[in-house]
Amino acid sequence: MEISGNKKDTAETARDILEALLDLMGVSTVVTPVAEFTTDGDEGAEPTITLDVRGDDPGILIGRRGQTLSCLQYLVRIIVGHQTQEWPPIIIDVEGYKRRRFEALQALANRIAEQVKTRGVPFALEPMPAFDRRIIHLSLAGHPEVTTQSNGEGEMRKVVIQPRE
Amino acid sequence: MKELVEFIARSIVDAPDDVKVEEEITEEGLTLKLQVADEDKGRVIGKQGRIAEAIRTLLRVKAAKAATKVRLEII
Repeated sequence: MEISGNKKDTAETARDILEALLDLMGVSTVVTPVAEFTTDGDEGAEPTITLDVRGDDPGILIGRRGQTLSCLQYLVRIIVGHQTQEWPPIIIDVEGYKRRRFEALQALANRIAEQVKTRGVPFALEPMPAFDRRIIHLSLAGHPEVTTQSNGEGEMRKVVIQPRE
Repeated sequence: MKELVEFIARSIVDAPDDVKVEEEITEEGLTLKLQVADEDKGRVIGKQGRIAEAIRTLLRVKAAKAATKVRLEII
C-alpha cells in the first residue's frame, strides 16, 4: 500500500498524540504502527493508520466490551483531525485485540454462511456493535449464496445472514 | 489527572490559552472543573456529550490505577 508523504506525517502525528495520552493516563506502553487489517481487499479505500499498543495492563486499556479502547481511538481521531485538518481512518488496537476479533468474526461469518446455504434458512447473530457488524457485512459482501442485513435498534442491533433470493 | 484533561482540551479547541482546569478534592474523590472559551464549549462536549464522555472514560482508567474516583465538570 502506497503511503504518501502527507499521510506519513499524519500517521506520525497520530502516534505522538496517542503516546502523549497514554503517558498522561499513567500507563507505560509502547506504540507501534502495524499493517492495516480492516480494509483488506477493500480496493480504492483510503489507507488506514493502524497503531498497536503494548503495555503492562492491556485489560484496563481495552475496557468493558472494548469501550475504553474505542474512547481512546475516538479522541485520537478528533485531536488529529483538529490539528492536521485531515480525517484519515485511524484504528487503535491493544496487543492485537481488534485484529484477533476481526479474524474471529470473519471466520464466524463464513461458518454461518455455510450453514445458511445448506439449511436454506436465515440466521440471526448475537447483537454486536457497529464495527463488528461491519466486519460481518464486509466478509460476506461478495458471497454468491447469502446476503446480510442489520436489524434492531441501538445495543440490540444484530446481523441476519439469509439465503440470496 | 489535571494534565490529561488540559492536554485533551488544548488539543481540540480554537483558543487553547483559555483552557483552565481546577481541581477540587472532596470526600467522594477528585472533581475537575474544565473551563474553556464559550465558542469552544461544543468542542469539548461533543455531539450528545460524546467527547466529554470519552475524556471521562480515560480519566477513569487513571483513577482506577490510583484507586480513587474522579468527576469531570464542564463549566
